[in-house]
Amino acid sequence: MVELKTQLPRIFDSFAQARQDGFLAMKKLKDSGTGVVGQFCTYTPQEIFMAAGLVTVGLCATSDETIPDAEKDLPSNLCPLIKSSYGFAITDKCPYMYFSDLVVGETTCDGKVKMYELLGKIKNVHILELPKRQNTPQAKALWREELVRLKERVEKDFHVTITDEMLQEAIRRRNMERKLLKELYELSTLTPPPLTGMRQLQVLFGAQFKFNWEEKIKEIGNAIAGIRQAYDAGERPVPASAPRILVTGCPIGGVTEKVVRVIEEAGGVVVVFENCTGAKQMDRQCREEGDPLTNIADHYLQIGCAVMTPDTNRFELLERLCEQFHIDGVVEMTLQACHPYAVEAHSVKLFMQERNIPYLQLETDYSTADIGQLSTRAGAFVEML
Amino acid sequence: MGQVSIGIDCGSAACKGVLFLDGAVKAATVRPTGWNPKETAKAVLDELIVKAGAKREELSITATGYGRVGIDFAERKVTEITCHALGADFILPGVRTVVDIGGQDSKVISVKDGKVQSFQMNDKCAAGTGRFLEMSAHRMGVDMSGFAALLKEGKSCAISSMCAVFADSEIVSLLASGKSREEVAGGIVNSVAARTAALAARIEMESPILLTGGLSELVGLKKALEVQFQLPVITSELSRFAGAIGAARKGLS
Repeated sequence: MVELKTQLPRIFDSFAQARQDGFLAMKKLKDSGTGVVGQFCTYTPQEIFMAAGLVTVGLCATSDETIPDAEKDLPSNLCPLIKSSYGFAITDKCPYMYFSDLVVGETTCDGKVKMYELLGKIKNVHILELPKRQNTPQAKALWREELVRLKERVEKDFHVTITDEMLQEAIRRRNMERKLLKELYELSTLTPPPLTGMRQLQVLFGAQFKFNWEEKIKEIGNAIAGIRQAYDAGERPVPASAPRILVTGCPIGGVTEKVVRVIEEAGGVVVVFENCTGAKQMDRQCREEGDPLTNIADHYLQIGCAVMTPDTNRFELLERLCEQFHIDGVVEMTLQACHPYAVEAHSVKLFMQERNIPYLQLETDYSTADIGQLSTRAGAFVEML
Repeated sequence: MGQVSIGIDCGSAACKGVLFLDGAVKAATVRPTGWNPKETAKAVLDELIVKAGAKREELSITATGYGRVGIDFAERKVTEITCHALGADFILPGVRTVVDIGGQDSKVISVKDGKVQSFQMNDKCAAGTGRFLEMSAHRMGVDMSGFAALLKEGKSCAISSMCAVFADSEIVSLLASGKSREEVAGGIVNSVAARTAALAARIEMESPILLTGGLSELVGLKKALEVQFQLPVITSELSRFAGAIGAARKGLS
């Protein structure tokens, strides 16, 4: 069994107030005896941690603050998400990374896989072997085996027993959360949408940092009710003429909100995100009847991401969302040096061309130096629609 | 006086302005953007008003270019991509492709009836931009008109660096190894043209092609682009005002 980390980091005193508050909130959680699991990827089956009574936190960093530190060990021509996340780990500047008792990663992209090896030197890391195929019996069997291994690791590290009933309850809870968040973003199928893309992203992104499940469910429910009520009362935060944009590509949130900002400042509105924090994760429900571990394995393996080949499910979802949300244009955000998404971008472009949907690819990183260039590109794109 | 519209295209290097009256360019002016785009744009505006004898109240002002954000006296702000397409269609009605090599951006725009169909821009890198040419001219001790003169004989040599910073040191070593300034200048222009052709390859390029922006006056660049594209490239004395003309037209629509 691992010993739960409860002390503050040595450099705590040097932190600004907001960061100290973040650490203190996590410390309070830890002092109550709750174990914390850090995850990077949408493929991580949260149900297993939830069943064990653990709190799950997202560790994908979204700021360039620690990139210089990371570049002491990592090449500069690497995806900013990987560099930044690793940087926060070695500097003890992220409360979630710092207080994670177990960090779970998957064999998704090459950059992450190699970074996890380095991370394993300073954190308690468990790696899941994620297949690159989604429909072969071998891939499905391997992935289920990997989840058995993860369950056993969690049981050992946190000295718990995870029963099928616990897993079933966790599936039920996660399904409810998915359903609610989907209900929230589907509000934007309305014309004009009752909320901006910025607002939608903040709710979707923020949901991963709410650790009390009942409260989270209540908050999302309240947000939906509040938006509906305001819309029914005649509030129109977005003009009906705003071109409706689907955003796709790499994980979005934090500093990369800038992509949504430039689109909306140019007069467009982001109505749906086909990213990790958006539809990719919430679109489908996990089966509740039958063997829970098989259900969880089947559910997660079908997520459409550029690390899969062929990535059929992503295109199926993109097509469906374009129709459902009456999309006028697609903007794909790729992070610098993210080869899976940057290469697949060409296929997305052709896919959209065949459907007469204008497409724009924006490459960016975690700096704010390219706001001017981004706004010219996004602005011209919106003017073109 | 009929309907008067002013377009101001405040780029990273030069600030261009035109005054449009009854569907024609009545006055045009250009000055270096300098460190204060807002004041430069104001000076351009004042000059146009004096030139055309217009009244401030009857003007509709549209701003474009990187400096547009700071131009608070403009009624509307439009990106330079939309404006270049609209302006190019005025200069050369029926234009299908616009190539603009600006101070910090180069772009290739596919146009139909003055409307943008799709566009490609350089990534966050100075290579292949006007700034790169300017920097290289400076390295060889000439201004842009001196640089244009170096291109007259059509000499050239290979420049292999893809990065503006490394190309700069490559220029120094080429000159040191005995290459003439004419050859190096030709090599630089060819490398800019090759970069632009790489952008153009990502969209469907159709004739007629109009070269816009300040560098449209550089005959050597036009020739180098024609070699790269394997298609004729057209320029006009109004080319450098394409963005401003497009902005003025936007103000009328």
